[in-house]
Amino acid sequence: MVNYFVFLTISTGIFAIFALGLNIQWGYTGLINFGHVAFMTIGAYTTILLSMQGVPLLIAVIAGSLLAIVLGLLVGFSTLRLREDYLAIVTIGVSELLRLIAQNEEWLTQGTFGLQNYPLPLGEFNPNWLSKGIMIAILSAIALFAVWQLKQGIQGEFQTRKQRQKIARFPLDLGIWGILAIILGGIIYFNGVIALVNYTYKAGLMLLILVTLTILYAIVQRLGQSPWGRVLKAIREDEQVPRALGKDIFWYKLQAFMFGGAIAGIAGAFYAWQLTTIYPNNFEPLISFYAWTIVVLGGAGNNAGILLGAVIFWTYNSVTRFVLPNFDWIDDARLGAFRLLVIGLILMILMIFRPQGILGKKEELTLGR
Amino acid sequence: MDTAQLLINGLAIGSILSLVAVGLTLTFGILRLPNFAQGDLMTVGAYLTWISNIAGLNIWLSMIAGAIGTVGVMLLTEVFLWKPMRNIRAQPTTLIIISIGLALFLRSSILLIWGGSNQSYDLPILQAIDIFGLQVAYYRIIAIALSLLAIIALHFILQNSQIGKAMRAVADNIDLARVSGINVERIVIWTWVIAGILTAIAGASYGLITAVRPNMGWFLILPIFASVILGGIGNSYGAVTGAYLIGIAQELSVPLLGSQYKLGVALLIMVVMLLVRPQGLFRGTL
Repeated sequence: MVNYFVFLTISTGIFAIFALGLNIQWGYTGLINFGHVAFMTIGAYTTILLSMQGVPLLIAVIAGSLLAIVLGLLVGFSTLRLREDYLAIVTIGVSELLRLIAQNEEWLTQGTFGLQNYPLPLGEFNPNWLSKGIMIAILSAIALFAVWQLKQGIQGEFQTRKQRQKIARFPLDLGIWGILAIILGGIIYFNGVIALVNYTYKAGLMLLILVTLTILYAIVQRLGQSPWGRVLKAIREDEQVPRALGKDIFWYKLQAFMFGGAIAGIAGAFYAWQLTTIYPNNFEPLISFYAWTIVVLGGAGNNAGILLGAVIFWTYNSVTRFVLPNFDWIDDARLGAFRLLVIGLILMILMIFRPQGILGKKEELTLGR
Repeated sequence: MDTAQLLINGLAIGSILSLVAVGLTLTFGILRLPNFAQGDLMTVGAYLTWISNIAGLNIWLSMIAGAIGTVGVMLLTEVFLWKPMRNIRAQPTTLIIISIGLALFLRSSILLIWGGSNQSYDLPILQAIDIFGLQVAYYRIIAIALSLLAIIALHFILQNSQIGKAMRAVADNIDLARVSGINVERIVIWTWVIAGILTAIAGASYGLITAVRPNMGWFLILPIFASVILGGIGNSYGAVTGAYLIGIAQELSVPLLGSQYKLGVALLIMVVMLLVRPQGLFRGTL
């Protein structure tokens, strides 16, 4: 049970990082990137191939992330000056092409045999009580940061509502959100502590992912509130307005696209470390739409929403994995199809009825309405 | 595989692409809808033809049944998705995400209903035909001929009929068309009907020369869009030209790059086009 929750925490963390990248591209800037998995592919394969040659893991991850930036530059340079639909189709094509390369260039990637036995972070780490204590302290620090962020977020929302709707009492729905978040965070935290005490490779990976997610979340959150982030949001709403203010729209879009790609590249490294064997099939176009579901569900342009979206997505994923096979009419292929069908439905229904997702702000994300 | 043989293969793929691409360019140019579900609608056409065929209809009747079914599916999406979104003047970005959601929905519905395995039509296996020393599979010729017929029919509809003229008017300027007394909603329906028929024929012929499988249309989405962009969005003749260019280029690349990277060729052509001449080879309506 503990191990399963560790698995869920890792998966949620990886996809939260992955979707944070898409949130910068689509959520903040309004760039339709249907091939987000391309950045993940680049990040994963670069990290793994370099580390198999003996390059230290940290440098390998940075190299993977840099290559993802280069990919973003190439794709963005050819399409970001043009209409939004061109980016959508080119990114789909690029992500498929990268998967084909991973599949067919066997001298580099071993094709469909996949890559195995590559170095893993903390792979040979055998912690004593002191280092376990330090790790639990780090986890606790993350938990405190999360609680602080939660308090800030809820208070900020309370203040805005006070001004806008003239309410004095603390609204009930905010309270419920807070309690739910505390319960969820508590489960992850205590499960994490138990896992760290009975240390396994996955527990270490979980801690690493949580640390990375926290850092990236803080960076994206900070940048999103900065003048840079506000320009991005202005581009999403109506790019003529920031252009009239003298902003170089193309350059901002390119920056957002590359930055989102860099984050997805990091997510790719962790994805490979979680899988411990990577095949080209792990990087199907479908993975991009997992990120899309997370962003659209949680709330475009809202980083807390991304975390919520990732949690809901993986809850849905594991519930369907365990509950649906109990019905006789569904076999393995159909189970996958059914889950995909629900993703397609969610995307359609949300974009029609609630394009701002669960936590997004309707006043901000107008999408031209 | 000599060049002439590859050329024939390219012509066959180009014919199929041209039909789907014309379907897409019509809805793209007239309804301003970049329909990412176009490839999967083609799969729907192929599957509907296939079930009619194994239910005992001959292949031609099955194609008609498949076309009617595909038009039905397209009209359903029009009523439930596109019309409400047009009425609130949704941005293209919203439409794109809805259409990709629809694409996932259609593909997984097909998987859920008919499973993931390859299907083929109930047809006699015919000998390849010898044309000037080239062995050409019988069904390839059928696919090429069908698409040529469909495109000639489309040409007459667009140029000579009331509906075709009205469609071109709506594509040029929807408000101007409306004030000059054109019933825009009726034209929209006709656009879907024509696009649906072309898409279904393309799906059925693609099923003839390969196999009917749930992914068949999804993997064509890039060449389809590349053809439309190459020909200028909204320009049917441009889309046909683009489709043949892409189809032939993909096949001719096989001796150089191997058959795995056909998609890369379409992508490369599209990216070069976007860099050099993003408005397309011919005048589009967007």
